[in-house]
Amino acid sequence: MSTVDRREFLKASALAAATAAAARASGISLPILEPQAAPSSSAQALRWDKAPCRFCGTGCHVMVGTENGRVVAIQGDQKAEVNKGLLCVKGYHVGLALYGRDRLTQPMLRTQGRLVPISWDKALDIVADRIAADPGRFAIYGSGQWTIGEGYAANKFIKAGLGSNLIDANPRLCMASAVTGFISTFGVDEPPGVYDDLDRCDVAILWGNNMAEMHPVLFSRLVDRRARGEKVVIIDLTTRRTRTSELADQVLFFKPQGDLAIANGIAHQLVKNGTCDTAFVAAHCNFRRLGEPGADGAQPDMLGVPMTFEEYAKALEPYTPQRVEELSGVPAESIVMLGDLFGRRDRRINSLWCMGMNQHTRGTAINCLVHGIHLLSGHFGKPGDAATSLTGQPSACGTAREVGTLCHLLPGGLSVTNPGHRAIAEKHWNLEPGRLSGRIGLHAVELFKRFSTPTDQGGDITTVWVQVTNPAHTIPDLNHSIRRKAQLADKFLIVSDVYPTATTELADLVLPSAMWVEKNGMYGNSERRTQHWFKMVEPPGEARDDAWQMIAVSRRLFDRGVPGMRDKDGRWLFHTADSAGKEIPIWEWKRYYSDTVVDERLFDEYRAFSRHKHKDLAPYREYVKARGLRWPVVQNSDGEWKETRWRFTEGSDPYVAKGKGFQFYHSVTKDDRALIWFRPYEPPPEVPDAEYPFWLCTGRVLEHWHSGTMTRRIPQLHRAMPKAYVEMNHLDARALGVRSGEMVTVRSRRGEVDLPVWLGGRGDPRPGEVFVPFFDENPLINRVTLAAYDPYSKQPDYKKCAVAVVPKA
Amino acid sequence: MMGAAIVIAGASLGAFVRDDGDGKSERDPLPGLAWRLNTPHPWIVPDDRANPLAVADKLAARAASIDRRAQLRAFEGAPPVIPHSIQDLNVQSCRACHAEGLRAGDKISRMVSHTYLPSCTQCHVEATGFLLDANAIPPNEFRGLRSQGMGGTRAWAGAPPVVPHTFFMRTNCVSCHGEFGYDGWRPDHLSRSNCAQCHVPAAEFEQLSPTFGIADMAEGFAPRDGP
Repeated sequence: MSTVDRREFLKASALAAATAAAARASGISLPILEPQAAPSSSAQALRWDKAPCRFCGTGCHVMVGTENGRVVAIQGDQKAEVNKGLLCVKGYHVGLALYGRDRLTQPMLRTQGRLVPISWDKALDIVADRIAADPGRFAIYGSGQWTIGEGYAANKFIKAGLGSNLIDANPRLCMASAVTGFISTFGVDEPPGVYDDLDRCDVAILWGNNMAEMHPVLFSRLVDRRARGEKVVIIDLTTRRTRTSELADQVLFFKPQGDLAIANGIAHQLVKNGTCDTAFVAAHCNFRRLGEPGADGAQPDMLGVPMTFEEYAKALEPYTPQRVEELSGVPAESIVMLGDLFGRRDRRINSLWCMGMNQHTRGTAINCLVHGIHLLSGHFGKPGDAATSLTGQPSACGTAREVGTLCHLLPGGLSVTNPGHRAIAEKHWNLEPGRLSGRIGLHAVELFKRFSTPTDQGGDITTVWVQVTNPAHTIPDLNHSIRRKAQLADKFLIVSDVYPTATTELADLVLPSAMWVEKNGMYGNSERRTQHWFKMVEPPGEARDDAWQMIAVSRRLFDRGVPGMRDKDGRWLFHTADSAGKEIPIWEWKRYYSDTVVDERLFDEYRAFSRHKHKDLAPYREYVKARGLRWPVVQNSDGEWKETRWRFTEGSDPYVAKGKGFQFYHSVTKDDRALIWFRPYEPPPEVPDAEYPFWLCTGRVLEHWHSGTMTRRIPQLHRAMPKAYVEMNHLDARALGVRSGEMVTVRSRRGEVDLPVWLGGRGDPRPGEVFVPFFDENPLINRVTLAAYDPYSKQPDYKKCAVAVVPKA
Repeated sequence: MMGAAIVIAGASLGAFVRDDGDGKSERDPLPGLAWRLNTPHPWIVPDDRANPLAVADKLAARAASIDRRAQLRAFEGAPPVIPHSIQDLNVQSCRACHAEGLRAGDKISRMVSHTYLPSCTQCHVEATGFLLDANAIPPNEFRGLRSQGMGGTRAWAGAPPVVPHTFFMRTNCVSCHGEFGYDGWRPDHLSRSNCAQCHVPAAEFEQLSPTFGIADMAEGFAPRDGP
């Protein structure tokens, strides 16, 4: 009764179309589904329906097999362009993530140190009380695991409802430097390229990217071409040997932070050899560098100042192959080889990266430099020629970046600091002018620092509501951040989640959430593809949708007369009406799925924002039919909705004017040109020394997704990768006198953890470097990591800090 | 019939002769082109492979094989886990044993069921990883789909059975149905090499078919226990 599947939705949509048109004409909000459109099929049969995978940002589609109200099987979706029927081991087992025995099934309040079950009514009252008491000290922290509708509800709740920008999300730890790289270069976020480039490139360059484990399906799109007899060269730029290296043609090891030198070395070669694509650069690019720091030492503006080609060439002069070898450890002849490669017009080159370039205190710089060498050499905008960042969360793009669930953004790529953008949002949300705040909120690291500092010592955040993420596991330098919350009596942590986590361990109030196919939802993947699924099974116990939780609290605040929860006409922010104009009480859980499709109502309201930055989205029902569509999705004259593959390229992007070839229509310099940046090599903030002689790099492994709260409850994945370890070079292990399986302490200036050593295991670091995966909640490696972050993106560097490794007696 | 039967390839292609050691020779009905292409030592066929099981034994073996196969999978259609340790940084070594399949003592290494895909560990992980505490397996209440495993439907007695699973990622029939496949799953006519000539997958298993997931048989096809 409560579940509506795709076939029924489409049938009902067709029926509703006529009424909808009538409703629009009369200004009544949309009827979406009539209650009689209930499923008719027998409950016994095995049913299959599509959904995007719950895990990474690749955005594979799966077919979900359900029987008697439970997920019983998963298949790769053969109709999906992303994965063409193939999955990785996590995707094949994603259905098991619903059935860990310790699912959270009722709200719980910490009472005398223990979490005690309470009713939803009481839980929501507690949340409303905390917010109403001090709305200016309340913050929301979410992630790219929010569906689009959920993120939109949270964003509207805080920005329109509370008039603050105190919301941030896990993509700050994950994608923020990719965003600042795109904005600095193209004036607008998200990759111009698509996954089709993987099928078309001659050379793939992986910049600190262990794609075989992190984006296995995309890696297979590359390497499976070899099995078909095609030639694709893979160049692995890396700090340690990984499974990716095993299938690479060239493995070039670089010292941590050496990527900045390598990129400058390639640009230097192009300039010196005269192999820049001068026609492309002359027509479509400007050169840029950072301005001077302010008198008070303030960071120069992110959008920089102009420079001429001659100045650019001069700035690159120090980056000779020999100098780059000194800085990066990559042999000079390999730098020459890379320079020659980019200098060739007859090779299509696809650069790919993920956390290696983003989790970097110069993340914005290295992102700009890689875009720069692609633009300088004209390896841009043709199939196979692209610089594409890959995302870690299923909707880091779709929700955090596009819906703008970050402290500086409004939906649709609009900025809170831009008065014009705020006015647009006020119009879409029907708010009186001036309601929205122009003050940037707090980014993740700062947010949790304030939350973990006594209120009278500047810790001006007292209540945080965390949804769909696990910051007490993933924030860097945990000992000096959120983990200190346990000692602070006046702080209140609300956590919506599906399992007990390192964060629920600190929570004062725990709210049980529905997950994945237990609810309707939409995600947006790394290649601008927006994807949809319908609820297929009921959540366990009293678990409920994250969006419903937010909406229900909003309604409580509205009922109490909190002024922000109404629009300028006095209507509730999430007002939803049936076809007769009668309000549907979507704040009541039993009505949330029965009378309407709230997900559609939220999406179609959000969709209006997508037009301002040429990120056009199609109506909800188009996504119900498709295996995702890549924006901008524009309606043709024949009524068909058409997606876009290569952005800014004529013939592919509908917003590029005829005859332009390429057009960067969001150009920072307002002249349709992209920016080629010069950014110098700069040393990392902490380097190994006598006391802390090793570099520590952290990251993921194939089997576990992020903090492991789902994948560690899947027996097949847990058995294969049961616990964290420290990986080191055998020469270092010999010098320390430790063997595989023996325990060591990994210690930094900030904290320490005990871990078993694994030699010759999943990866093989260079001498002087160690690697620890972060999925394990037992030894929390983020007690050791460094909280230093990029000055523009505010993204921390989890990839390099100095540690000592001490054998346990 | 005791001991290993030796099958010797004759001088001319396809003329297989079996010598049971009793001096009598007979043409062997089993080895054919597919057999030889997919078997590293086609001239040696152990006795238990060379002789199709009696029907009752075959059904019992088939049921036992279903259970064995299920032990390595979370559900029907999941990629099997690897029941042995692997060399993490040398995934190409998988092919040494699984490209063609082999038998070593009482262990069988099955041939890959799908076309060669280089990144084996993308889908297949170890059943027992490094550092696993056996008592720390997370409790999970997932109950996976199971194959009934008793073969596909037939239009009439003697008609070739419909394949009761998809062909997607299972294009190499001999992986499960050949020399290194499962007991009870080997046909009595392995000499035929073009399986799909007579056996087609039921459309309910094929995603790209409009009847995917719909088990009802079309008009004109009698159910197994029908009139």
